[in-house]
Amino acid sequence: MSVTSIFLLLVSSILVNNFVLSRFLGICPFLGVSKQVETSIGMGMAVTFVMAMAALITYIVQVAILIPLELEYLQTIAFILVIASLVQFVEMVIEKISPTLYQSLGVFLPLITTNCAVLGLAILNIQMELNLLGAVIHGIGAAIGFSLAIVLFAAIRERLELYNVPEVFKGFPIALITASLMSLAFMGFAGLV
Amino acid sequence: MREVIKLGLILLVITSIAAFVLGITNEVTQPIIDQRLHLQNVEAIKALLPEAEEFELIEDENVTNRSLIVEAYMGIKNGEVVGYTVKTNPNGYNGRVEVLVGITVDGEIVGAKIGQHAETPGLGSKIADAAYIGQFFNKIVSVGFGSTKDVPTTDGDIQVVTGATVSSDAVVDGVNAAGALFEEVLVNR
Amino acid sequence: MKLGRIFTRGLVFDNPVFVQLLGMCPTLAVTNSAENGMAMGLATTAVLLGSNLVISLIKGFIPSKIRIPAFIVVIATFVTMVGMILNAYFPGIYESLGLFIPLIVVNCLILARAESFASKSSPVNSIVDGIGMGLGFTVALTILGIVREFSGAGSIFGFAVMGEFFHPARIMTMPPGAFLALGLLAALYNRITSKELNEL
Repeated sequence: MSVTSIFLLLVSSILVNNFVLSRFLGICPFLGVSKQVETSIGMGMAVTFVMAMAALITYIVQVAILIPLELEYLQTIAFILVIASLVQFVEMVIEKISPTLYQSLGVFLPLITTNCAVLGLAILNIQMELNLLGAVIHGIGAAIGFSLAIVLFAAIRERLELYNVPEVFKGFPIALITASLMSLAFMGFAGLV
Repeated sequence: MREVIKLGLILLVITSIAAFVLGITNEVTQPIIDQRLHLQNVEAIKALLPEAEEFELIEDENVTNRSLIVEAYMGIKNGEVVGYTVKTNPNGYNGRVEVLVGITVDGEIVGAKIGQHAETPGLGSKIADAAYIGQFFNKIVSVGFGSTKDVPTTDGDIQVVTGATVSSDAVVDGVNAAGALFEEVLVNR
Repeated sequence: MKLGRIFTRGLVFDNPVFVQLLGMCPTLAVTNSAENGMAMGLATTAVLLGSNLVISLIKGFIPSKIRIPAFIVVIATFVTMVGMILNAYFPGIYESLGLFIPLIVVNCLILARAESFASKSSPVNSIVDGIGMGLGFTVALTILGIVREFSGAGSIFGFAVMGEFFHPARIMTMPPGAFLALGLLAALYNRITSKELNEL
Protein backbone atom coordinates (compact mmCIF):
# COMPACT_ATOMS: atom_id res chain seq x y z
CA MET A 1 0.00 0.00 0.00
CA SER A 2 1.28 3.43 -0.90
CA VAL A 3 1.49 6.25 1.64
CA THR A 4 -1.28 8.10 -0.20
CA SER A 5 -3.73 5.24 -0.05
CA ILE A 6 -3.00 4.73 3.67
CA PHE A 7 -3.68 8.41 4.29
CA LEU A 8 -6.88 8.33 2.23
CA LEU A 9 -8.09 5.24 4.08
CA LEU A 10 -7.45 6.98 7.42
CA VAL A 11 -9.26 10.18 6.43
CA SER A 12 -12.18 8.28 4.99
CA SER A 13 -12.61 6.05 8.04
CA ILE A 14 -12.28 8.91 10.54
CA LEU A 15 -14.35 11.60 8.85
CA VAL A 16 -16.19 10.59 5.68
CA ASN A 17 -17.46 7.15 6.66
CA ASN A 18 -17.45 7.84 10.38
CA PHE A 19 -18.42 4.55 12.04
CA VAL A 20 -20.94 6.10 14.41
CA LEU A 21 -22.41 9.00 12.49
CA SER A 22 -22.63 7.61 9.00
CA ARG A 23 -22.32 3.81 9.26
CA PHE A 24 -24.36 3.48 12.48
CA LEU A 25 -21.88 1.13 14.13
CA GLY A 26 -21.26 1.36 17.86
CA ILE A 27 -24.41 3.33 18.66
CA CYS A 28 -25.01 1.63 22.03
CA PRO A 29 -21.82 2.90 23.74
CA PHE A 30 -22.17 6.17 21.79
CA LEU A 31 -25.50 6.86 23.48
CA GLY A 32 -24.82 5.00 26.71
CA VAL A 33 -21.32 6.09 27.77
CA SER A 34 -21.37 9.71 26.65
CA LYS A 35 -22.69 11.62 29.63
CA GLN A 36 -19.23 12.82 30.70
CA VAL A 37 -16.17 13.68 28.65
CA GLU A 38 -13.84 11.81 30.98
CA THR A 39 -15.60 8.44 30.74
CA SER A 40 -16.07 8.84 27.00
CA ILE A 41 -12.31 9.29 26.59
CA GLY A 42 -11.80 6.05 28.55
CA MET A 43 -14.28 4.23 26.34
CA GLY A 44 -12.62 5.65 23.23
CA MET A 45 -9.19 4.41 24.33
CA ALA A 46 -10.47 0.94 25.19
CA VAL A 47 -12.27 0.63 21.86
CA THR A 48 -9.24 1.85 19.90
CA PHE A 49 -7.05 -0.76 21.53
CA VAL A 50 -9.50 -3.62 20.96
CA MET A 51 -10.35 -2.61 17.40
CA ALA A 52 -6.74 -2.46 16.24
CA MET A 53 -6.07 -5.91 17.74
CA ALA A 54 -9.36 -7.34 16.44
CA ALA A 55 -8.64 -6.11 12.91
CA LEU A 56 -5.29 -7.91 12.97
CA ILE A 57 -6.50 -11.20 14.45
CA THR A 58 -9.77 -11.57 12.53
CA TYR A 59 -7.90 -10.92 9.30
CA ILE A 60 -5.44 -13.68 10.12
CA VAL A 61 -8.29 -16.04 11.09
CA GLN A 62 -10.02 -15.35 7.78
CA VAL A 63 -6.93 -15.77 5.58
CA ALA A 64 -5.15 -18.56 7.46
CA ILE A 65 -8.09 -20.68 8.65
CA LEU A 66 -11.46 -19.94 7.08
CA ILE A 67 -10.43 -19.50 3.43
CA PRO A 68 -8.04 -22.50 3.16
CA LEU A 69 -10.62 -24.78 4.80
CA GLU A 70 -13.48 -23.27 2.73
CA LEU A 71 -15.37 -22.44 5.90
CA GLU A 72 -16.21 -18.83 5.02
CA TYR A 73 -19.77 -19.43 6.12
CA LEU A 74 -18.56 -19.77 9.71
CA GLN A 75 -17.21 -16.21 9.56
CA THR A 76 -19.76 -14.61 11.90
CA ILE A 77 -19.42 -17.27 14.59
CA ALA A 78 -15.61 -17.35 14.35
CA PHE A 79 -15.19 -13.57 14.46
CA ILE A 80 -17.51 -13.03 17.42
CA LEU A 81 -15.70 -15.75 19.40
CA VAL A 82 -12.32 -14.22 18.53
CA ILE A 83 -13.53 -10.80 19.66
CA ALA A 84 -15.07 -12.13 22.88
CA SER A 85 -11.87 -14.00 23.83
CA LEU A 86 -9.72 -11.05 22.80
CA VAL A 87 -11.67 -8.71 25.07
CA GLN A 88 -11.36 -11.19 27.95
CA PHE A 89 -7.63 -11.59 27.31
CA VAL A 90 -7.00 -7.83 27.08
CA GLU A 91 -8.87 -7.37 30.34
CA MET A 92 -6.67 -9.94 32.12
CA VAL A 93 -3.42 -8.55 30.70
CA ILE A 94 -4.24 -4.95 31.61
CA GLU A 95 -5.25 -6.02 35.11
CA LYS A 96 -1.86 -7.75 35.61
CA ILE A 97 0.48 -5.15 34.13
CA SER A 98 -1.19 -1.86 34.99
CA PRO A 99 -3.78 -1.72 37.76
CA THR A 100 -4.23 2.05 37.23
CA LEU A 101 -5.04 1.61 33.56
CA TYR A 102 -7.35 -1.24 34.51
CA GLN A 103 -9.21 1.02 36.90
CA SER A 104 -9.87 3.56 34.18
CA LEU A 105 -10.59 1.16 31.30
CA GLY A 106 -11.78 -1.96 33.12
CA VAL A 107 -15.45 -1.12 33.38
CA PHE A 108 -15.70 -0.51 29.63
CA LEU A 109 -14.03 -3.69 28.42
CA PRO A 110 -16.90 -6.18 28.93
CA LEU A 111 -19.19 -3.79 27.03
CA ILE A 112 -16.98 -3.94 23.97
CA THR A 113 -17.84 -7.55 23.07
CA THR A 114 -21.35 -6.48 22.08
CA ASN A 115 -20.14 -3.26 20.45
CA CYS A 116 -21.15 -3.84 16.87
CA ALA A 117 -18.40 -1.50 15.67
CA VAL A 118 -15.79 -4.20 16.38
CA LEU A 119 -17.55 -7.06 14.56
CA GLY A 120 -18.66 -4.63 11.85
CA LEU A 121 -15.06 -3.58 11.31
CA ALA A 122 -13.88 -7.18 11.02
CA ILE A 123 -16.53 -8.03 8.42
CA LEU A 124 -16.04 -4.77 6.50
CA ASN A 125 -12.30 -5.41 6.29
CA ILE A 126 -12.99 -8.66 4.44
CA GLN A 127 -15.72 -7.13 2.26
CA MET A 128 -13.48 -4.19 1.27
CA GLU A 129 -10.77 -6.70 0.27
CA LEU A 130 -8.12 -4.88 2.28
CA ASN A 131 -4.72 -6.44 2.93
CA LEU A 132 -3.29 -6.98 6.41
CA LEU A 133 -1.82 -3.48 6.74
CA GLY A 134 -4.98 -1.94 5.28
CA ALA A 135 -7.14 -3.85 7.74
CA VAL A 136 -5.16 -2.59 10.73
CA ILE A 137 -5.07 1.00 9.40
CA HIS A 138 -8.82 0.85 8.78
CA GLY A 139 -9.29 -0.45 12.32
CA ILE A 140 -7.25 2.37 13.84
CA GLY A 141 -8.99 4.99 11.69
CA ALA A 142 -12.44 3.65 12.52
CA ALA A 143 -11.59 3.63 16.24
CA ILE A 144 -10.26 7.20 16.12
CA GLY A 145 -13.47 8.20 14.32
CA PHE A 146 -15.51 6.48 17.03
CA SER A 147 -13.53 8.20 19.81
CA LEU A 148 -13.80 11.58 18.10
CA ALA A 149 -17.57 11.26 17.76
CA ILE A 150 -18.15 10.03 21.32
CA VAL A 151 -15.91 12.67 22.97
CA LEU A 152 -17.46 15.55 20.97
CA PHE A 153 -20.92 14.19 21.75
CA ALA A 154 -20.12 13.95 25.48
CA ALA A 155 -18.86 17.53 25.47
CA ILE A 156 -22.13 18.73 23.96
CA ARG A 157 -24.21 16.65 26.37
CA GLU A 158 -22.34 18.05 29.38
CA ARG A 159 -23.37 21.55 28.35
CA LEU A 160 -26.87 20.41 27.47
CA GLU A 161 -27.32 19.50 31.15
CA LEU A 162 -27.27 23.22 32.00
CA TYR A 163 -30.12 24.14 29.67
CA ASN A 164 -33.83 23.93 30.18
CA VAL A 165 -34.99 21.19 27.82
CA PRO A 166 -38.75 20.56 27.35
CA GLU A 167 -39.88 17.77 29.67
CA VAL A 168 -40.73 15.16 26.99
CA PHE A 169 -37.37 15.70 25.24
CA LYS A 170 -35.26 15.21 28.37
CA GLY A 171 -32.67 12.44 28.24
CA PHE A 172 -32.76 10.15 25.25
CA PRO A 173 -34.77 12.24 22.70
CA ILE A 174 -32.63 15.37 22.96
CA ALA A 175 -29.48 13.22 22.82
CA LEU A 176 -30.67 11.71 19.53
CA ILE A 177 -31.49 15.11 18.06
CA THR A 178 -28.02 16.32 19.07
CA ALA A 179 -26.55 13.27 17.33
CA SER A 180 -28.63 14.13 14.26
CA LEU A 181 -27.07 17.59 14.06
CA MET A 182 -23.58 16.11 14.51
CA SER A 183 -24.26 13.62 11.76
CA LEU A 184 -25.43 16.46 9.53
CA ALA A 185 -22.18 18.31 10.22
CA PHE A 186 -20.14 15.19 9.38
CA MET A 187 -21.97 14.85 6.05
CA GLY A 188 -20.01 17.93 5.05
CA PHE A 189 -16.92 15.70 4.86
CA ALA A 190 -18.46 13.53 2.15
CA GLY A 191 -16.57 13.79 -1.09
CA LEU A 192 -13.36 14.69 0.74
CA VAL A 193 -11.72 11.49 -0.47
CA MET B 1 -7.49 -27.97 36.16
CA ARG B 2 -10.13 -30.68 35.72
CA GLU B 3 -12.79 -28.00 35.76
CA VAL B 4 -11.09 -26.07 32.96
CA ILE B 5 -11.01 -29.20 30.81
CA LYS B 6 -14.65 -29.89 31.54
CA LEU B 7 -15.71 -26.33 30.65
CA GLY B 8 -13.61 -26.45 27.52
CA LEU B 9 -15.19 -29.75 26.49
CA ILE B 10 -18.71 -28.42 26.97
CA LEU B 11 -17.93 -25.40 24.81
CA LEU B 12 -16.34 -27.67 22.24
CA VAL B 13 -19.49 -29.80 22.08
CA ILE B 14 -21.71 -26.74 21.65
CA THR B 15 -19.47 -25.27 18.95
CA SER B 16 -19.28 -28.59 17.10
CA ILE B 17 -23.05 -28.93 17.05
CA ALA B 18 -23.30 -25.33 15.81
CA ALA B 19 -20.76 -25.96 13.04
CA PHE B 20 -22.54 -29.18 12.05
CA VAL B 21 -25.94 -27.48 11.81
CA LEU B 22 -24.46 -24.62 9.78
CA GLY B 23 -22.65 -27.06 7.51
CA ILE B 24 -25.95 -28.70 6.63
CA THR B 25 -27.72 -25.36 6.09
CA ASN B 26 -24.85 -24.29 3.88
CA GLU B 27 -25.07 -27.50 1.82
CA VAL B 28 -28.74 -26.77 1.18
CA THR B 29 -28.56 -23.04 0.47
CA GLN B 30 -25.20 -22.61 -1.27
CA PRO B 31 -26.19 -24.24 -4.60
CA ILE B 32 -29.33 -22.07 -4.73
CA ILE B 33 -27.29 -18.94 -4.04
CA ASP B 34 -24.64 -19.85 -6.63
CA GLN B 35 -27.24 -20.57 -9.27
CA ARG B 36 -29.04 -17.30 -8.60
CA LEU B 37 -25.82 -15.29 -8.80
CA HIS B 38 -24.89 -17.03 -12.02
CA LEU B 39 -28.32 -16.34 -13.56
CA GLN B 40 -28.20 -12.71 -12.43
CA ASN B 41 -24.80 -12.28 -14.01
CA VAL B 42 -25.87 -13.87 -17.29
CA GLU B 43 -29.04 -11.79 -17.43
CA ALA B 44 -27.19 -8.57 -16.72
CA ILE B 45 -24.74 -9.31 -19.52
CA LYS B 46 -27.49 -10.34 -21.95
CA ALA B 47 -29.32 -7.08 -21.37
CA LEU B 48 -26.15 -5.19 -22.31
CA LEU B 49 -25.66 -6.97 -25.62
CA PRO B 50 -29.03 -8.39 -26.71
CA GLU B 51 -27.72 -9.52 -30.07
CA ALA B 52 -25.37 -12.18 -28.71
CA GLU B 53 -26.51 -15.68 -27.78
CA GLU B 54 -23.52 -16.99 -25.85
CA PHE B 55 -20.95 -15.28 -23.70
CA GLU B 56 -17.38 -16.20 -22.96
CA LEU B 57 -15.19 -14.67 -20.24
CA ILE B 58 -12.02 -13.12 -21.68
CA GLU B 59 -9.05 -14.38 -19.67
CA ASP B 60 -6.33 -12.19 -21.12
CA GLU B 61 -3.82 -10.38 -18.90
CA ASN B 62 -4.03 -7.32 -21.16
CA VAL B 63 -7.69 -7.10 -20.15
CA THR B 64 -7.73 -8.11 -16.50
CA ASN B 65 -4.66 -6.07 -15.53
CA ARG B 66 -5.90 -2.76 -16.95
CA SER B 67 -6.93 -0.12 -14.45
CA LEU B 68 -10.67 0.31 -13.82
CA ILE B 69 -11.47 -2.89 -15.73
CA VAL B 70 -13.10 -5.67 -13.64
CA GLU B 71 -13.97 -8.20 -16.33
CA ALA B 72 -14.93 -8.45 -19.98
CA TYR B 73 -17.04 -10.98 -21.88
CA MET B 74 -17.08 -11.81 -25.56
CA GLY B 75 -20.59 -12.01 -27.05
CA ILE B 76 -20.97 -14.74 -29.70
CA LYS B 77 -23.71 -15.48 -32.24
CA ASN B 78 -23.47 -18.37 -34.71
CA GLY B 79 -19.82 -18.83 -33.87
CA GLU B 80 -18.94 -15.23 -34.63
CA VAL B 81 -18.01 -12.47 -32.18
CA VAL B 82 -20.69 -9.79 -32.31
CA GLY B 83 -19.55 -7.61 -29.44
CA TYR B 84 -18.18 -7.30 -25.92
CA THR B 85 -19.49 -6.48 -22.45
CA VAL B 86 -17.12 -4.71 -20.08
CA LYS B 87 -17.51 -4.19 -16.33
CA THR B 88 -15.58 -1.23 -14.89
CA ASN B 89 -15.29 0.19 -11.36
CA PRO B 90 -14.43 3.91 -11.41
CA ASN B 91 -14.26 5.95 -8.20
CA GLY B 92 -17.44 7.86 -7.38
CA TYR B 93 -18.44 10.22 -4.60
CA ASN B 94 -18.66 7.44 -2.05
CA GLY B 95 -16.48 4.54 -3.12
CA ARG B 96 -16.45 2.52 -6.32
CA VAL B 97 -19.27 2.57 -8.85
CA GLU B 98 -19.86 -0.43 -11.09
CA VAL B 99 -20.39 0.66 -14.68
CA LEU B 100 -21.30 -2.01 -17.23
CA VAL B 101 -21.06 -1.33 -20.96
CA GLY B 102 -22.03 -3.38 -24.01
CA ILE B 103 -20.13 -2.59 -27.21
CA THR B 104 -20.69 -4.11 -30.67
CA VAL B 105 -17.77 -5.10 -32.89
CA ASP B 106 -18.29 -1.80 -34.74
CA GLY B 107 -17.66 0.13 -31.54
CA GLU B 108 -21.24 1.19 -30.94
CA ILE B 109 -22.55 1.29 -27.36
CA VAL B 110 -25.75 -0.73 -27.31
CA GLY B 111 -26.13 -1.10 -23.57
CA ALA B 112 -24.95 0.69 -20.42
CA LYS B 113 -25.94 0.07 -16.84
CA ILE B 114 -24.93 1.05 -13.31
CA GLY B 115 -24.30 -1.94 -11.04
CA GLN B 116 -23.52 -1.74 -7.34
CA HIS B 117 -22.79 1.71 -5.95
CA ALA B 118 -23.14 3.70 -2.72
CA GLU B 119 -23.77 7.16 -4.17
CA THR B 120 -26.04 9.58 -2.29
CA PRO B 121 -29.68 8.43 -2.59
CA GLY B 122 -31.72 10.91 -4.59
CA LEU B 123 -28.66 12.74 -5.94
CA GLY B 124 -25.72 10.67 -7.14
CA SER B 125 -27.96 7.60 -7.40
CA LYS B 126 -29.65 9.29 -10.39
CA ILE B 127 -26.73 8.15 -12.56
CA ALA B 128 -28.61 4.84 -12.77
CA ASP B 129 -31.71 6.53 -14.25
CA ALA B 130 -32.37 6.11 -17.98
CA ALA B 131 -32.36 9.91 -18.37
CA TYR B 132 -28.66 9.94 -17.56
CA ILE B 133 -27.23 6.59 -18.56
CA GLY B 134 -29.33 6.54 -21.76
CA GLN B 135 -27.15 9.36 -23.11
CA PHE B 136 -24.46 6.81 -23.97
CA PHE B 137 -26.72 4.61 -26.08
CA ASN B 138 -26.11 4.27 -29.81
CA LYS B 139 -22.92 6.29 -29.70
CA ILE B 140 -19.52 5.24 -31.03
CA VAL B 141 -16.94 4.73 -28.25
CA SER B 142 -14.13 6.35 -30.25
CA VAL B 143 -15.59 9.87 -29.73
CA GLY B 144 -14.33 9.82 -26.15
CA PHE B 145 -16.89 11.09 -23.68
CA GLY B 146 -16.68 14.16 -21.47
CA SER B 147 -19.01 15.70 -18.87
CA THR B 148 -20.75 18.99 -19.50
CA LYS B 149 -23.13 21.02 -17.35
CA ASP B 150 -24.81 22.58 -20.40
CA VAL B 151 -27.07 21.09 -23.03
CA PRO B 152 -24.93 18.62 -25.03
CA THR B 153 -23.84 19.83 -28.45
CA THR B 154 -21.62 17.01 -29.72
CA ASP B 155 -21.87 13.23 -29.53
CA GLY B 156 -19.19 13.10 -26.84
CA ASP B 157 -21.00 15.48 -24.49
CA ILE B 158 -22.74 13.86 -21.58
CA GLN B 159 -24.89 16.14 -19.45
CA VAL B 160 -24.13 15.65 -15.74
CA VAL B 161 -26.76 14.87 -13.13
CA THR B 162 -27.44 18.22 -11.43
CA GLY B 163 -25.66 18.38 -8.09
CA ALA B 164 -23.80 15.12 -8.70
CA THR B 165 -20.83 16.05 -10.86
CA VAL B 166 -18.47 13.61 -9.15
CA SER B 167 -20.81 10.63 -9.62
CA SER B 168 -21.40 11.63 -13.25
CA ASP B 169 -17.68 11.98 -13.93
CA ALA B 170 -17.16 8.50 -12.51
CA VAL B 171 -19.58 7.01 -15.05
CA VAL B 172 -17.87 8.87 -17.90
CA ASP B 173 -14.50 7.54 -16.65
CA GLY B 174 -15.90 4.01 -16.60
CA VAL B 175 -17.36 4.17 -20.11
CA ASN B 176 -14.18 5.76 -21.48
CA ALA B 177 -12.08 3.02 -19.84
CA ALA B 178 -14.29 0.41 -21.51
CA GLY B 179 -13.99 2.28 -24.82
CA ALA B 180 -10.20 2.44 -24.55
CA LEU B 181 -10.06 -1.27 -23.75
CA PHE B 182 -12.17 -1.97 -26.83
CA GLU B 183 -10.05 0.17 -29.14
CA GLU B 184 -6.63 -0.80 -27.82
CA VAL B 185 -7.08 -4.48 -26.99
CA LEU B 186 -10.37 -6.09 -27.95
CA VAL B 187 -10.45 -4.90 -31.58
CA ASN B 188 -7.02 -6.41 -32.22
CA ARG B 189 -7.78 -9.83 -30.85
CA MET C 1 -46.50 -15.17 34.82
CA LYS C 2 -49.34 -15.51 32.32
CA LEU C 3 -48.40 -15.99 28.69
CA GLY C 4 -50.48 -13.01 27.57
CA ARG C 5 -48.67 -10.79 30.03
CA ILE C 6 -45.27 -12.00 28.81
CA PHE C 7 -46.33 -11.29 25.24
CA THR C 8 -47.69 -7.75 25.70
CA ARG C 9 -44.75 -6.80 27.91
CA GLY C 10 -42.36 -7.13 24.98
CA LEU C 11 -44.75 -5.61 22.48
CA VAL C 12 -45.66 -2.47 24.46
CA PHE C 13 -44.69 -1.95 28.10
CA ASP C 14 -41.04 -2.99 27.84
CA ASN C 15 -40.70 -2.16 24.15
CA PRO C 16 -37.07 -2.98 23.25
CA VAL C 17 -36.54 0.20 21.22
CA PHE C 18 -38.59 2.89 22.92
CA VAL C 19 -38.25 1.75 26.54
CA GLN C 20 -35.14 -0.44 26.83
CA LEU C 21 -33.14 1.38 24.12
CA LEU C 22 -31.68 -1.92 22.91
CA GLY C 23 -30.52 -2.75 19.40
CA MET C 24 -29.96 0.85 18.38
CA CYS C 25 -27.54 0.13 15.50
CA PRO C 26 -29.97 -1.73 13.23
CA THR C 27 -32.81 0.50 14.43
CA LEU C 28 -31.07 3.53 12.99
CA ALA C 29 -29.19 1.96 10.11
CA VAL C 30 -31.77 0.01 8.13
CA THR C 31 -34.94 2.03 8.66
CA ASN C 32 -34.52 4.20 5.55
CA SER C 33 -37.61 2.46 4.19
CA ALA C 34 -40.61 0.73 5.80
CA GLU C 35 -39.81 -2.53 4.01
CA ASN C 36 -36.22 -2.63 5.26
CA GLY C 37 -37.27 -1.83 8.82
CA MET C 38 -39.85 -4.59 8.83
CA ALA C 39 -37.47 -7.13 7.22
CA MET C 40 -34.80 -6.43 9.84
CA GLY C 41 -37.42 -6.71 12.59
CA LEU C 42 -38.63 -10.09 11.34
CA ALA C 43 -35.09 -11.43 10.85
CA THR C 44 -34.26 -10.42 14.42
CA THR C 45 -37.49 -12.02 15.66
CA ALA C 46 -36.54 -15.30 13.96
CA VAL C 47 -33.12 -15.30 15.62
CA LEU C 48 -34.58 -14.32 18.99
CA LEU C 49 -37.19 -17.08 18.80
CA GLY C 50 -34.58 -19.70 17.94
CA SER C 51 -32.02 -18.61 20.51
CA ASN C 52 -34.59 -18.22 23.30
CA LEU C 53 -35.92 -21.74 22.66
CA VAL C 54 -32.54 -23.46 22.42
CA ILE C 55 -31.08 -21.63 25.41
CA SER C 56 -34.04 -22.46 27.59
CA LEU C 57 -33.76 -26.13 26.53
CA ILE C 58 -30.04 -26.44 27.27
CA LYS C 59 -29.91 -24.15 30.31
CA GLY C 60 -29.44 -27.13 32.65
CA PHE C 61 -26.28 -28.35 30.92
CA ILE C 62 -24.36 -25.08 30.80
CA PRO C 63 -22.18 -24.13 33.78
CA SER C 64 -22.67 -20.46 34.62
CA LYS C 65 -18.98 -19.67 34.05
CA ILE C 66 -19.17 -20.27 30.32
CA ARG C 67 -22.77 -19.28 29.77
CA ILE C 68 -22.00 -16.03 27.86
CA PRO C 69 -19.74 -17.66 25.21
CA ALA C 70 -22.23 -20.54 24.94
CA PHE C 71 -25.12 -18.12 24.39
CA ILE C 72 -23.09 -16.21 21.79
CA VAL C 73 -22.40 -19.43 19.85
CA VAL C 74 -26.11 -20.33 19.84
CA ILE C 75 -27.09 -16.82 18.72
CA ALA C 76 -24.38 -16.66 16.03
CA THR C 77 -25.55 -20.02 14.66
CA PHE C 78 -29.11 -18.78 14.23
CA VAL C 79 -27.90 -15.50 12.73
CA THR C 80 -25.78 -17.34 10.16
CA MET C 81 -28.71 -19.62 9.29
CA VAL C 82 -31.06 -16.66 8.85
CA GLY C 83 -28.42 -14.98 6.66
CA MET C 84 -28.06 -18.07 4.44
CA ILE C 85 -31.82 -18.49 4.09
CA LEU C 86 -32.31 -14.82 3.21
CA ASN C 87 -29.49 -14.99 0.67
CA ALA C 88 -30.98 -18.07 -0.97
CA TYR C 89 -34.68 -17.19 -1.00
CA PHE C 90 -34.97 -13.41 -0.43
CA PRO C 91 -31.92 -11.96 -2.21
CA GLY C 92 -33.39 -8.44 -2.41
CA ILE C 93 -33.74 -8.21 1.36
CA TYR C 94 -30.34 -9.83 1.86
CA GLU C 95 -28.66 -7.17 -0.24
CA SER C 96 -30.43 -4.17 1.26
CA LEU C 97 -29.76 -5.25 4.86
CA GLY C 98 -26.16 -6.21 3.98
CA LEU C 99 -23.68 -5.88 6.83
CA PHE C 100 -26.46 -5.61 9.40
CA ILE C 101 -27.47 -9.26 9.01
CA PRO C 102 -24.30 -10.70 10.61
CA LEU C 103 -24.45 -7.83 13.10
CA ILE C 104 -27.71 -9.23 14.53
CA VAL C 105 -25.28 -11.30 16.66
CA VAL C 106 -24.30 -8.21 18.63
CA ASN C 107 -27.83 -6.86 18.94
CA CYS C 108 -27.89 -6.42 22.72
CA LEU C 109 -31.60 -7.27 22.75
CA ILE C 110 -30.97 -10.94 21.94
CA LEU C 111 -28.21 -11.50 24.49
CA ALA C 112 -30.23 -9.57 27.07
CA ARG C 113 -33.27 -11.86 26.58
CA ALA C 114 -31.04 -14.95 26.73
CA GLU C 115 -29.38 -13.83 29.94
CA SER C 116 -32.32 -12.33 31.78
CA PHE C 117 -35.22 -14.49 30.58
CA ALA C 118 -34.58 -17.64 28.53
CA SER C 119 -31.85 -18.99 30.83
CA LYS C 120 -34.32 -18.94 33.72
CA SER C 121 -37.63 -19.85 32.08
CA SER C 122 -39.47 -22.76 30.52
CA PRO C 123 -39.28 -23.32 26.75
CA VAL C 124 -42.92 -22.28 26.21
CA ASN C 125 -42.51 -19.01 28.13
CA SER C 126 -39.24 -18.34 26.29
CA ILE C 127 -40.90 -18.77 22.90
CA VAL C 128 -43.68 -16.36 23.85
CA ASP C 129 -41.14 -13.89 25.21
CA GLY C 130 -39.13 -14.16 21.98
CA ILE C 131 -42.18 -13.52 19.81
CA GLY C 132 -43.36 -10.62 21.99
CA MET C 133 -39.99 -8.88 22.18
CA GLY C 134 -39.29 -9.62 18.50
CA LEU C 135 -42.61 -8.18 17.37
CA GLY C 136 -42.12 -5.16 19.64
CA PHE C 137 -38.80 -4.59 17.90
CA THR C 138 -40.38 -5.16 14.47
CA VAL C 139 -43.23 -2.73 15.14
CA ALA C 140 -40.82 -0.03 16.32
CA LEU C 141 -38.56 -0.46 13.28
CA THR C 142 -41.51 -0.49 10.89
CA ILE C 143 -42.95 2.71 12.39
CA LEU C 144 -39.58 4.39 12.14
CA GLY C 145 -39.22 3.13 8.56
CA ILE C 146 -42.66 4.44 7.61
CA VAL C 147 -41.95 7.88 9.10
CA ARG C 148 -38.59 8.16 7.35
CA GLU C 149 -39.72 6.79 4.00
CA PHE C 150 -42.83 9.00 3.99
CA SER C 151 -41.00 12.21 4.88
CA GLY C 152 -37.88 11.40 2.89
CA ALA C 153 -39.28 9.87 -0.28
CA GLY C 154 -43.04 10.52 -0.19
CA SER C 155 -43.90 6.83 -0.28
CA ILE C 156 -44.88 4.03 2.11
CA PHE C 157 -43.72 0.44 1.45
CA GLY C 158 -42.58 1.65 -1.96
CA PHE C 159 -46.00 3.01 -2.99
CA ALA C 160 -46.02 6.72 -3.78
CA VAL C 161 -48.72 8.22 -1.58
CA MET C 162 -48.07 11.89 -2.19
CA GLY C 163 -48.67 13.79 -5.41
CA GLU C 164 -46.13 15.62 -7.52
CA PHE C 165 -46.52 18.78 -5.42
CA PHE C 166 -44.87 17.07 -2.44
CA HIS C 167 -41.15 17.69 -2.20
CA PRO C 168 -39.75 15.02 0.13
CA ALA C 169 -36.97 15.98 2.55
CA ARG C 170 -34.30 13.56 1.28
CA ILE C 171 -32.25 14.11 4.41
CA MET C 172 -34.76 11.91 6.29
CA THR C 173 -33.56 8.80 4.46
CA MET C 174 -29.91 9.70 5.19
CA PRO C 175 -28.08 9.23 8.53
CA PRO C 176 -29.07 12.57 10.20
CA GLY C 177 -32.74 11.80 9.48
CA ALA C 178 -32.43 8.49 11.34
CA PHE C 179 -31.33 10.18 14.57
CA LEU C 180 -33.88 12.97 14.18
CA ALA C 181 -36.85 10.69 13.47
CA LEU C 182 -36.04 8.36 16.39
CA GLY C 183 -35.51 11.36 18.69
CA LEU C 184 -38.91 12.81 17.80
CA LEU C 185 -40.63 9.42 18.09
CA ALA C 186 -39.05 8.81 21.51
CA ALA C 187 -40.29 12.23 22.65
CA LEU C 188 -43.78 11.37 21.35
CA TYR C 189 -43.66 8.04 23.21
CA ASN C 190 -42.68 9.90 26.41
CA ARG C 191 -45.52 12.32 25.89
CA ILE C 192 -48.13 9.58 25.44
CA THR C 193 -46.96 7.43 28.34
CA SER C 194 -46.51 10.35 30.75
CA LYS C 195 -50.07 11.50 29.96
CA GLU C 196 -51.36 8.03 30.76
CA LEU C 197 -49.44 8.02 34.03
CA ASN C 198 -50.92 11.40 35.00
CA GLU C 199 -54.42 10.16 34.34
CA LEU C 200 -53.96 7.04 36.44
